[in-house]
Amino acid sequence: MRLRPLALAALALLLVPFVAGAAPKKAVLLFTGDNGGEIAPCG
Amino acid sequence: MPVLVLDAGNALFKHPNSTGEANEKPRAELVLKQMEALGTAAMAVGARDLTLGLDFLRGGAKGAKMKLLSVNLVDKEGKAPFPASAVLSAGTLKVGVIGVSPEGTLPGGQGQPAIPAVLAEAKRLREKDKVDVVVVLAAVPYTLARQMAQQGEGVDFVVQSHEGRGPGSTYRDGLATFVPPGERGRQLARLELSVDGPGAFEDLATASRSQESLKMVEANLARAKERLAATKDEAAKRALEETVASFEARRADLRKKSQASAKGLARTQLLSYIQLGADVPSDPAVQKQVERLEPPGAGHAGHNH
Repeated sequence: MRLRPLALAALALLLVPFVAGAAPKKAVLLFTGDNGGEIAPCG
Repeated sequence: MPVLVLDAGNALFKHPNSTGEANEKPRAELVLKQMEALGTAAMAVGARDLTLGLDFLRGGAKGAKMKLLSVNLVDKEGKAPFPASAVLSAGTLKVGVIGVSPEGTLPGGQGQPAIPAVLAEAKRLREKDKVDVVVVLAAVPYTLARQMAQQGEGVDFVVQSHEGRGPGSTYRDGLATFVPPGERGRQLARLELSVDGPGAFEDLATASRSQESLKMVEANLARAKERLAATKDEAAKRALEETVASFEARRADLRKKSQASAKGLARTQLLSYIQLGADVPSDPAVQKQVERLEPPGAGHAGHNH
């Protein structure tokens, strides 16, 4: 039982680099809409 | 940066009811084919996608990677002909996309009340699929889409199509951000997202505008302080002191807003538009297919400009 706090501390240390170093999730969403059947350039 | 292409609907036909025009069907088929070729991941089913009925659309979507979505459309048997939503990946970002159709009678089906269906689906996507972002492709009238944004618990963005409202700008509307997608393929709305934790999205454009205003307020504040130091008249001094205090309050507010551009924010968004004018060349193979349907110089039926 005395080993449990040590194990938890080790797990926390292992996880820290993943949490601290996690890069933000970045993406671009491109939206179209209301094309209305258009197929030819219209200016 | 990973890119996801989404369509807010009303892509295929000029009118919600068939005009009987010979080109109507092949033109819609060409649009569907090109959307697939462009890599459009999902599209909402709008009134001007159902012009030739539900079966035409179902047939056109068969075998396609592009997902047709509607959270509230039911066929004559009361069954949902399309999935309500899709979970899509853009790099590491998990995006929940919900499609919405107009309420009321539609060719081959019926649009059920939209807002309760959207809210329930957004909740499900958040809780079950653990998506990072919820986007609603709202092929519904503008007023309904705005209500959807205002009451959009769990919704981040509402992208609206229906009336062909033309270009616009994004704005926060209640709980979600309203995004106009443009019309007739003349522009693309480009929304750049960064997600580094929970919370609401901060608009970097607002922060940028605040930084510009901050510079002006700081210049005005410096001038007011100079005049205050040089003024001997007590009444004028009091007026200037009030002015300085008001500028200082405005400066504090703008400093707070402009910090949104600083690092450390959990979620940011930046919307811009890519114009597709004559400077963007046509794909020769697609151009040939277009000219078969609409020969150059023949005039384009339905153009109102």
